[in-house]
Amino acid sequence: MTPSPYWNPRTETLSRDALEALQLRKLRGLVDWTHASAPWQSAQLRKAGLESSDALRSLDDLRRIPFLERQDWMATQEEDPPYGAVLAAPPEAAIRYHTTSGTTGKRPLAVLDGPKDWEWIAEMWCYGFWAAGVRAPDSVFFAFSYGTFVGFWGAHYACEKLGCRVLPGGNMTTEARVRMIAEAEVTVVCSTPTYALRMAQEAEAKGVDLPGSAVRVLVLSGEPAGSIPATKALIEERWGAKAVDTAGMTELGTIFMFECSHQPGGPHIIEDHFVEEVVDPVTLEPVPDGELGERVVTSFGRGFIPVMRYRTRDMVVRVPASRCDCGRTFDIYDGGIRGRVDDMKVVRGTNVYPRAIEEIVRRNVGALEEFQVRLYTVDGIRDEIEVLVELAEGSQTTADGDLLQEVGRQLSEAHEGLRFGVRTAEPGSLPRFELKAKRLNDEREVWGGAGGERKTM
Amino acid sequence: MTEPEPTAAERELVDCYERLVAILREHGDDLAPFAHRNAVKAAAALWQVANDLGLQPGHLYDLGI
Repeated sequence: MTPSPYWNPRTETLSRDALEALQLRKLRGLVDWTHASAPWQSAQLRKAGLESSDALRSLDDLRRIPFLERQDWMATQEEDPPYGAVLAAPPEAAIRYHTTSGTTGKRPLAVLDGPKDWEWIAEMWCYGFWAAGVRAPDSVFFAFSYGTFVGFWGAHYACEKLGCRVLPGGNMTTEARVRMIAEAEVTVVCSTPTYALRMAQEAEAKGVDLPGSAVRVLVLSGEPAGSIPATKALIEERWGAKAVDTAGMTELGTIFMFECSHQPGGPHIIEDHFVEEVVDPVTLEPVPDGELGERVVTSFGRGFIPVMRYRTRDMVVRVPASRCDCGRTFDIYDGGIRGRVDDMKVVRGTNVYPRAIEEIVRRNVGALEEFQVRLYTVDGIRDEIEVLVELAEGSQTTADGDLLQEVGRQLSEAHEGLRFGVRTAEPGSLPRFELKAKRLNDEREVWGGAGGERKTM
Repeated sequence: MTEPEPTAAERELVDCYERLVAILREHGDDLAPFAHRNAVKAAAALWQVANDLGLQPGHLYDLGI
């Protein structure tokens, strides 16, 4: 029998009607489980008049379920630490404790999982690795710190499940990691996009030939850059390997989308385990396919914490599965995560997205080592934006004013004529990142004020 | 178009899962640690088969699964 190109051939190729029927059935089961075991979420359902799953007659009825907001989850956790009132099972039943990475909010969210939840978390990653062409006897290296942040934990267990040889690269220097990748004949590397570039830089500096190594696939996660074409192309060039994007959330415990080896320009949504909606972040009304909106997720897998209609703040553009010729019927988020609702900055009336800046900077500056975007106020009244680019030491383009001018011109053109300053930074002066790069510093003052922090989104 | 029915082999795996759960429910307390914990681990793995087949195998935290 020919091995299937799909991890789950029966669901990954379902017709839209059958897929929605499966989702409705699972949704009803989730609502029943919630009423039976999760009083906090159950109360929200009852407030909306959903006393039982009988009220859900079609998948459209999903919209009757109230949104779950992160601040509400956070509030219950603060009122009733450490987990809040969200658990559907006693903490003693859990075998794993994990937290969010702390990029939003005052403290990380803490989550628990039981044995079959943890297996399910790995199961979702299996969809992704399989679609990327990862198989036994691949050797998979994880450039990951293995802390309480859930990160690549599930991916590690997924690769064990696939029969791959797993190399856990926690607690290692970047140099030690790239040397191990080359010497141990690693074929698959998992990291954030930023750190994939960082490792490539380190390898070049230390004379380690990554493009000549056995690495053939990079599985990226943790940042939107895995689907930014210029960043992805750079990663693929520097590693001599194919890069695929994935994205997950600690709130779900795992990934909800994966890019297949056909690389259709964005990852497929794992639609047999999640329902993903895309809404206008202001009106909360659904937006049609092809338009930018906020993703809202309902998860069927993790029983410990029922998650229904969770507002993720991720901005996405959903397109039909037919965009890809891999045969899957799971729809695609074109361009992956396009940014965060709260990523957007308004500079002199123009919307600025860090992702758009990264795309232009990486496309143009070949010898780029790092970059930072800085927003600041001049004379207490005028907002300015500048991009600091750190070039590789000894780069011929260090003093190339024309190049910087051209980057500024393209940035301006992409932002309704907004003026961008672009200048070089001293070698080694900009921060490096292993996880979730933070490349935008908003140092603006309150308008008209003499200082202090600005209160904008 | 509806979901395909599980194949005979898939059905047998689901039967294994259900049998394991039944053993844990009926005899879990009597099993030696090595038998009990490995059965829980196996049940957690086979739960994925039932779940991926869309069979809704439930949540069995009371059995430690």
